[in-house]
Amino acid sequence: MTEDIIVAEDLTKIFDKSLVAVDHVSFNVEQGEILGFLGPNGAGKTTTLNMLSTLLRPTSGTATVNGHDIIKEPDAVRRSIGFVFQDPTLDIELTGRENLDFHGRVYGLKRDVRQQRIKEMLEVVQLTDRADDLVKTYSGGMKRRLEIARGLLHYPKVLFLDEPTLGLDPQTRRAIWEHIQRLNQDENVTIILTTHYTEEADYLCARIQIIDFGKIVALDTPDKLKARLEGDIVSLTFKDSQSTMKIRPLFEEKDWVRRVDLVAGENNHAVMSRMMQMMRGMFNDGSISGTMPEMSPGGMVPEISRGEAIRRSKMPRHMQQMLTRGSAGENGHRGHDEGPKRMNLLVDDGGHRIPEIVKLIDKTGVVLESVELHEPTLDDVFLSVTGRNIRDEQGSFAETMRQHRIIREARGQRS
Amino acid sequence: MVQPLSGQATYVILLRELKRFWRAKARIIASVAQSFFFLALLGSGLGGFIGGFGGVKYLSYLSPGMIGMSLLFGSVFSGVSVIFDRQFGFLKEMLVAPVSRTSIILGKILGGAVTASIQGILLMIVAGLMGAFTTTVTFIIGAIASVGVMMLITAGFVGLGVAIGSSLNDFHAFQLLSTFIMWPIFMLSGVFFPIDVAPQLLQAAMLIDPLFYGVELLRWCLLGTGTTILGPFGWMISLGVLVGFTALMVSIGTYLFSRVQV
Repeated sequence: MTEDIIVAEDLTKIFDKSLVAVDHVSFNVEQGEILGFLGPNGAGKTTTLNMLSTLLRPTSGTATVNGHDIIKEPDAVRRSIGFVFQDPTLDIELTGRENLDFHGRVYGLKRDVRQQRIKEMLEVVQLTDRADDLVKTYSGGMKRRLEIARGLLHYPKVLFLDEPTLGLDPQTRRAIWEHIQRLNQDENVTIILTTHYTEEADYLCARIQIIDFGKIVALDTPDKLKARLEGDIVSLTFKDSQSTMKIRPLFEEKDWVRRVDLVAGENNHAVMSRMMQMMRGMFNDGSISGTMPEMSPGGMVPEISRGEAIRRSKMPRHMQQMLTRGSAGENGHRGHDEGPKRMNLLVDDGGHRIPEIVKLIDKTGVVLESVELHEPTLDDVFLSVTGRNIRDEQGSFAETMRQHRIIREARGQRS
Repeated sequence: MVQPLSGQATYVILLRELKRFWRAKARIIASVAQSFFFLALLGSGLGGFIGGFGGVKYLSYLSPGMIGMSLLFGSVFSGVSVIFDRQFGFLKEMLVAPVSRTSIILGKILGGAVTASIQGILLMIVAGLMGAFTTTVTFIIGAIASVGVMMLITAGFVGLGVAIGSSLNDFHAFQLLSTFIMWPIFMLSGVFFPIDVAPQLLQAAMLIDPLFYGVELLRWCLLGTGTTILGPFGWMISLGVLVGFTALMVSIGTYLFSRVQV
């Protein structure tokens, strides 16, 4: 039996009498779960969190957190929660230990309890040996970890994490994810996080709440959300790009194929998506200027070849080399055919369609190298429920600038 | 909902301000040095021309005013820094803690007052070393009393800073604040010339400047002299005005801060 630790009813926040940031939102959060608010910038995720944490007063509606009403009993709510903000809220002129100590004092922890917990939390986030250094000497990931430790120091029932990995590099992000999971399991803390990274929501959350324009447009487990996109993506790989071009019209005219996309010269989907992930991060934080090649469902890149994408990007040379090396062996003896050798089809019940697809290709005499089936990703789901790509910047200019600043800070102060 | 005051929260904020202040030694030195240059250059340069006012040499006349300037800028900026604190920092974290805003802001005001007063005391020592004061027993008693006066002045101006910082959302207004609020307060406080020699219109403006009373009181403590315009019991008037100003500013600052939304 699980009980609801948060019950929100018709939560609404209107700024300046006209800007509806959160629009009659109702939801429950179960004790011990990790719930993710997924949505683009400005969707109302942070505003919802601010209301639940009593920082903002709802315009109408209310919620209970750990059984306490956010309007009538803000103190009791505050005692039940920990909050890790999107902006860094550490005092960088103080040491890590001092930051924790101050937090403990404010929450009324007695000296010995405080020291015990500080020791414990520093170990949890693996910062024990840096505890007495000034926070300004910490890397972005270390600061985030310290903030998480601080949010947990008073043993909250619910921990709010607002964009916990914004601007962090992939390894640090992964480490933070693991911390969050461990905390959730070991300490049984209910965790509510906001993110606009679909990978993050998919990896961490028991349930995901997709928010767009202040409304909940979907609330379900990641798997069930993905199941909403009926169909599968069947990836076909051919010997060369001519074959792909030859086969393309064959499927475009079939009514059971919803979509045909060509994937530029790339055989290794894993390498591809890894690169996309890295590039996406850089485009998002402005370290690469220009526009991102549009992602189509299934993570395919039209028009631009992989090698070309790597060359055009301003990523560090060692990364370029790492990525190109990944497929040099495969491509080396085939010359430099970087045209699309791969085609993705969105079809119903892909597993059963494969024999038919193979048969159709066989008849043309084109040699099929491999067939692969994959399920739609959360990116695809987001696109389908909101009609927009989550990567599109939807936030206000100020919000975007703010996030860029956070990201710059996270990166710049890494030592 | 009224939350009880939390001594711990006030103490934490005070402690934080002190630690930060202590670690920013370069800034303290710069601030004291700035006032030192004023004293050294104006005190000797202008002083050689003017001689003095009200029976004291110009350097001595200038010193309480320079201390006043240091107190003013130190405390207002410390108060206004709630803008940064609440948007990017530490204070935001405190706002989700189960403590009242009042206990937080009292800590801020206390911290700002103590740190700005420390700068004032340092400057008093520097001025003393330059020979601005005659070290008699009366002076030592006055100097000790002046520390209390400094706390009173700074608490009031940190309150003003907090009130401004809580109402502004934009730190680009900083420049405006400095030009249109702080400099007039500073220039009208009777730092460079006594109110008695000023034209009437200027006198009226000086009389509504709270720092004028602060500097007046400091001068009375440190030099035993005052203006004639406030009469023989001028120091009592000054003290009264200052207490009223500080009480008002701390109240307004606390009130406005309690209404701040993130």
